[in-house]
Amino acid sequence: MRLFFLPDSSNRSRFLHDRLLGFALALVIVSLVTAALLLLREELNTSTVALLYLIPVLVSTTMWGLWPGVFSAFAAFLAYNYFFLPPYYTFIVHENQDIIALLILLVVAVFNSQLVARARSGQAAAVTRERETTLLYELSLDLARAGSPAEIAAVLARKSSDMVRAAHLEVSIGPMYGEQSFRLSIPENNPPDKTPDAVIPLETVRASVGEIRMWLNVPPLTPGQERLLRAYAAQGTLALERMALAHTETRAQVLEESDRLKSALLSSVTHELRTPLATIKASTTSLISDEIPWKAPARHDLLSVIDEETDYLNYLVGNLLDMSRIEAGALKPKRHWNILSEIIDGVLVRLHRMLSGFTVDMHIPDDLPVVPVDYSQMEQVFVNLLTNAAKYAPQGSTIQIEANLRDENTALVSVKNEGPQVKPDHLDRIFDKFYRITEPEKVSGTGLGLSICKGIVEAHGGRIWAENVPSGLAFRFTIPLRLDGNPPPQIEAEDL
Amino acid sequence: MKTMAHVLVIDDEPQMQRALRTILGAHNYRVSTAPSGEEGLALAAAEKPDVIILDLSLPDMDGIEVCTQLRQWTQIPIIILSVRSDEGDKIKALDQGADDYLVKPFGTGELLARLRVAQRHLAKSQGEPDTVIVSGDLTIDLTRHIVTRAGIEVKLTATEYRLLAYLAGHANRVLTHPHILEHVWGPEYRDDVEYLRVFMSQLRKKLEAQPKKPVHILSEPGIGYRFITDA
Repeated sequence: MRLFFLPDSSNRSRFLHDRLLGFALALVIVSLVTAALLLLREELNTSTVALLYLIPVLVSTTMWGLWPGVFSAFAAFLAYNYFFLPPYYTFIVHENQDIIALLILLVVAVFNSQLVARARSGQAAAVTRERETTLLYELSLDLARAGSPAEIAAVLARKSSDMVRAAHLEVSIGPMYGEQSFRLSIPENNPPDKTPDAVIPLETVRASVGEIRMWLNVPPLTPGQERLLRAYAAQGTLALERMALAHTETRAQVLEESDRLKSALLSSVTHELRTPLATIKASTTSLISDEIPWKAPARHDLLSVIDEETDYLNYLVGNLLDMSRIEAGALKPKRHWNILSEIIDGVLVRLHRMLSGFTVDMHIPDDLPVVPVDYSQMEQVFVNLLTNAAKYAPQGSTIQIEANLRDENTALVSVKNEGPQVKPDHLDRIFDKFYRITEPEKVSGTGLGLSICKGIVEAHGGRIWAENVPSGLAFRFTIPLRLDGNPPPQIEAEDL
Repeated sequence: MKTMAHVLVIDDEPQMQRALRTILGAHNYRVSTAPSGEEGLALAAAEKPDVIILDLSLPDMDGIEVCTQLRQWTQIPIIILSVRSDEGDKIKALDQGADDYLVKPFGTGELLARLRVAQRHLAKSQGEPDTVIVSGDLTIDLTRHIVTRAGIEVKLTATEYRLLAYLAGHANRVLTHPHILEHVWGPEYRDDVEYLRVFMSQLRKKLEAQPKKPVHILSEPGIGYRFITDA
């Protein structure tokens, strides 16, 4: 919607035309009234005629403005004098009261034209205000939908250029909330090589955040345009500020959340580290003490406890390190082509003591291609999944490890245990940090194992999830089979 | 009786020094300790120990640098101590001439086994190399290029044999993946671990009674392989 047209040459001639038409019509209406009164001249006295001459003057000022009105007043007076004051058909004024008639006609013309003009300009102002309000309302609607400083700039640029026909318009916004500073131009080319005709700042209470610059076809801006542009700028600045506040609030929430997690981690870790330490301390102080001469089997028992607990402590510390790497985004897998079964075999050997009470069933087809994974990290995924299985599944149950191709680009691995199932709405949450299915007192662990698995699998570009299966719980994850865009290498078998 | 073997421990942790001194002393080793790289290099030159145990994180200099400097003048076996997930550093140190590594925390059994391997390696490097290598029921005759398992000849492809011969020729030492690839396949294959994985898996199927629980060729996760011979 374009509202403010700059007067150009065609408008100017039209304006003149309208004015002349006003004078002509004023003359016509005075003539018509004169003709009508002439017919009735014998029946009317002169003062009544003078009174009736007010009609064309009122009509002229109301319809065509002050000057046609004044013109009609003179015309009416002359006609009154010529046709109705004796001696008829002369312009000679005989009595002072006739001059008064002329003055009254003039005063009526002037007063009426001013009244009408005031009413008109009041109406015009009301229309303008209504249009400005509509424009601002549309702007604020668009701004409310904008989701970034760039979108705000785009809305400002579009709305400003709709309002003012500018040769070139540029909205620039300074660097905000981690986003680069940027410019947006309409049209999309370099601005003219001269200083802009109008610069509307976008400023908050504290600082200037940007500018709207305009190069006009016909400078300068009209006061109306400038006023509305400043209102646009104020709205735009408000939108930017609102975004800044939302941004700060999100950051604050993230920090708060991360603080909360850190203290949860600390309390979980101190508890978890203390448990094996307590066992170790108890065993070693017993052995050091001279009070009891320990028999060989008892000594061996105590020492085995110490040995197992130190291994467990080492596992905990390893998980903590992995977690802090994942948190810091420093977990960059060094991916190489590896044989999955070799990784799992190594883990089974390492965990043989922990898994001694379970049957481990492994089904991996011989023709499964090599997988692009970080050997140690993938080991850690299996260590954590198997440790988890050993923790929750009953002794003597079976742990099933399977791997196969889901499609030509993805391998699917599952580790199933016969442990308790998980409520469907908790299946996602078990990968959250510190989440435990059971009460912390019943099962030991930092609650980090599965979230580390998730971190590692996702760093490899895969996905991990848990599923309830008839016999228990299955953990499944995918491994994308592309390394730098290449499929698994086919290594030719050699002839003997 | 042979003179006591002399071990130099370069580690800045007083408790680790104390523990190693006690444990190794009890197993008839003479132990010297150095708390920094500089002192370790000086002691190694002055005392000419039989084996050096070197921690990779030292206060004054990088353990890999200590390793490099030692190798400029001596072939004394070096065993590296490091923590899990420093695979890159371990491979670098092994490629710089270290003989073996131990991951902290380690058990005494592992430590003593590594020390024995290192000493044997030292003794061997001074005499003639073995031409027949035995690991359990496996015998590899390096001069006649014949591999037998429980007395029956095992048919190996050319590459499988080269791989096995290279590992057996450096028996009981950790050989890193890049190192093996370079020597068996060629320098341009240094990073193509997949070859090694595939051939190793084939080799294990032919050599091991239980390929999933290998006893002749052990994997060192993320680092390399180690061929085990009978003591």
